[in-house]
Amino acid sequence: MAEAPVITDPFTDAANRLKTLTKVMTTRAAIAQTPKELVWTLNKAKLYHYIPVLPKQKRHPVPLLLVFALMNRPYILDLRPGHSFVEYMVNNGYDLYLLDWGAPGPEDKHLKFDDYTLDYMPRAVRKLKAISGSEEFSLLGWCIGAILATIYAALRGDEGLRNLILLTAPLDFSNKQGLTFARWTDERYFDVDKVLATFGNMPGEMIDYGAKALKPVENYIGNYVKLWDNLDDPRMVEAWHAMNTWVTDNVPLAGGAFRQLIVDLYRNDRLMRGELIIRGERVDLSRIRANLLTVIADGDHITPSCQSEPIMSKVNSTDKELFRIAGGHIGIMAGSGASKHTWPHINGWLAPRSG
Amino acid sequence: MGDAPTDNGKRFDPMEPWRGVRDVYLDAWAKTMVDMVNSDAYAQATGTMLDTYLTVSTPFREAIEKAMLKTLEQLAMPSRADIVSIAERMTNIEMRLDDMDAKLDAIQRLISASSISPRTGPRKALRQSKKTAQPKRARRRTK
Repeated sequence: MAEAPVITDPFTDAANRLKTLTKVMTTRAAIAQTPKELVWTLNKAKLYHYIPVLPKQKRHPVPLLLVFALMNRPYILDLRPGHSFVEYMVNNGYDLYLLDWGAPGPEDKHLKFDDYTLDYMPRAVRKLKAISGSEEFSLLGWCIGAILATIYAALRGDEGLRNLILLTAPLDFSNKQGLTFARWTDERYFDVDKVLATFGNMPGEMIDYGAKALKPVENYIGNYVKLWDNLDDPRMVEAWHAMNTWVTDNVPLAGGAFRQLIVDLYRNDRLMRGELIIRGERVDLSRIRANLLTVIADGDHITPSCQSEPIMSKVNSTDKELFRIAGGHIGIMAGSGASKHTWPHINGWLAPRSG
Repeated sequence: MGDAPTDNGKRFDPMEPWRGVRDVYLDAWAKTMVDMVNSDAYAQATGTMLDTYLTVSTPFREAIEKAMLKTLEQLAMPSRADIVSIAERMTNIEMRLDDMDAKLDAIQRLISASSISPRTGPRKALRQSKKTAQPKRARRRTK
């Protein structure tokens, strides 16, 4: 027997929608739920080890370290149960670690890429090796985390780095016309020293504005229109709530690192030209010999593909792959299609190289 | 009645045509805005606005900082600079602790290696553990 249609009056309907809207706009979603333990800290940085779910004999012997960007929270990698890259990788037998940079305070305004790549990362890697008992490890860097991973791989790649995965990595800054950020931070218009003299660190709100202003209508209007249209769909609302929790949780970027990002990379493209100096050491990309997987999002407006492709010809890795996928900067890893496309590809590439 | 299902099972939605028009308008607007923000004129305008804000706000900010510093001194309270200095020292202490942790890990490996394989001998085990436990020593964080 066919069910009778549920008839609700328009006022109740509107009230329910407003209630849902208020909830998702004013509360934080339950995120980063995969069980983990804190195994190392230094200043604001924390190294988490995810609790394995498979017995040791079924796990990959080579552990995987995740490094996310400096100016966003890394729980985008573990957004919500059933839709988490971390959960997926743990379920696929990886011994998984996450390096959370934390939020820099005024005392950290001098922190540079030098400190992150030569103090924090080697120490975190040492701890990872001590806990896992493995001499080799894999490193996955995403966005600015991929810059750090690349610098680390070039300077300290001989310390057991076996596999390097770069997601939407902004490494090549030579195409100034194709990079909106490069235009905005051009020295004719943007005085980076004046900004840092005022704020110390680059405020999270300003970084957030910069990211959203690349597509202002989508981010400031379309995003909320999409929510309003789907307020009756609990799954859509849950996904939107989790993503909004992440998007609105911004952290500042340490002043020293921000200055390097603008001056050394956006303005002078020093990394790709082999002129970037990190604590007196030149970052020579040809010293990277780890197996390399570079993932490019074809619809990425933050890191266009021209920024990630050139690394492939600079490294000395004999085993390297460039993987292109439809989607945006965040969408390829946290969007609805990530679990069907990006994650299985990363797993398929990494699993045979983690034995 | 507006809530009655239509032939295909969906409820009739009088706002549907409006949504279509809205989406078309938003798409067009989005494209225009992307072109606008990706122009030199926009970069110059935002740069000028930011520069003006920083120039205008700096004297006020500095005056507030000076007044706050004097107030905290009068109240015998630490200033932001004092706390920053302590935080930097804490980080250096943490690094020293981390170095010690690395050495302890190395010793632990040495002990484990010795107890597991007495034939290996302590020297060989020490060489092995030294190789693995300590990353290349990086210089301390500098300003």
